[in-house]
Amino acid sequence: MNMLTTAMVPTVLATGDPARVDVEIAPKFKAGDKVTVVNLNKVDHNRLPAYIKGKVGTVTFDHGVFVFPDTSAHRKGPKPQHVYTVVFNARDLWGEAGHPRDRMYVDAWDDYLEHAR
Amino acid sequence: MKHDNHSHANVLIPEVGLRVKALESLLAEKKAIDPAALDLIIETFETQMGPKNGAKVVAKAWTDPKYRKWLLEDGTAAIKSLGYIGIQGENMVALENTPSVHNVVVCTLCSCYPWPTLGLPPVWFKSAPYRARVVIEPRSVLKEFGLDVADDVEVRVWDSTAELRYLVIPVRPAGTENLNEQELAALVTRDSMIRTGVAQSPSH
Repeated sequence: MNMLTTAMVPTVLATGDPARVDVEIAPKFKAGDKVTVVNLNKVDHNRLPAYIKGKVGTVTFDHGVFVFPDTSAHRKGPKPQHVYTVVFNARDLWGEAGHPRDRMYVDAWDDYLEHAR
Repeated sequence: MKHDNHSHANVLIPEVGLRVKALESLLAEKKAIDPAALDLIIETFETQMGPKNGAKVVAKAWTDPKYRKWLLEDGTAAIKSLGYIGIQGENMVALENTPSVHNVVVCTLCSCYPWPTLGLPPVWFKSAPYRARVVIEPRSVLKEFGLDVADDVEVRVWDSTAELRYLVIPVRPAGTENLNEQELAALVTRDSMIRTGVAQSPSH
């Protein structure tokens, strides 16, 4: 096991663990696209919150290419892909409990999204 | 700092503190961790990372329109220029509050938080009730924090589910026109940068 030494600490804290990867991958979506969140249900590590599964939102921003935690956390490779911010209307997520003005912004990888029909 | 003197201040349950201590000793004995490196990490968090850094970013954005524009367009680069980039702050997004838009940040999946600008998250930020409730009823949660959001204001809740970390730029309080950047930074509270509070007015 590689032990973190005192000498390594400043560099580790200053650089962190950049999950952004510098590879050219075509984005599946662009800002303005309507997307449906996949109804993914698995016990493995993933970063998809339950409350947006199956919901329709709009892509607001493409943040570029990042490592995919669903595979990387299980040492199945980085599977790099785009990460977007997707906005949802509170009413679409929570029904009457949501305030008609409010919005929910969630970051999502390509694999979590499909073009809304 | 002597190694024996770690204070695990965030630990609410004493048994958890004991468990952490036991793991720490075991890992040190097995030479998996270097206690001196741990001390240095803790010392860095205690002295160099924390909401004072975020407050300087906010004060600069309030006083320098060019910086504000850059910060909103490329948070990572603009914050890096002040030196507050690093672990758990590798990719930063700044969100601007206005009289008509209120931003609130949460991590529903765990406790993601921009360490270089805000330090370690407060216990309530990591608590299940905050994470569960702020997405569905942000207005009630904000009210419990002492913040009444008017009906005609849009509340935007940001769930940091991926690798982006969010910093809220609160509204510059009225009556601060004559304050300089340093004086303004002193008004910026930690909670105003997660947007569960407001920046203090100068009379505070």
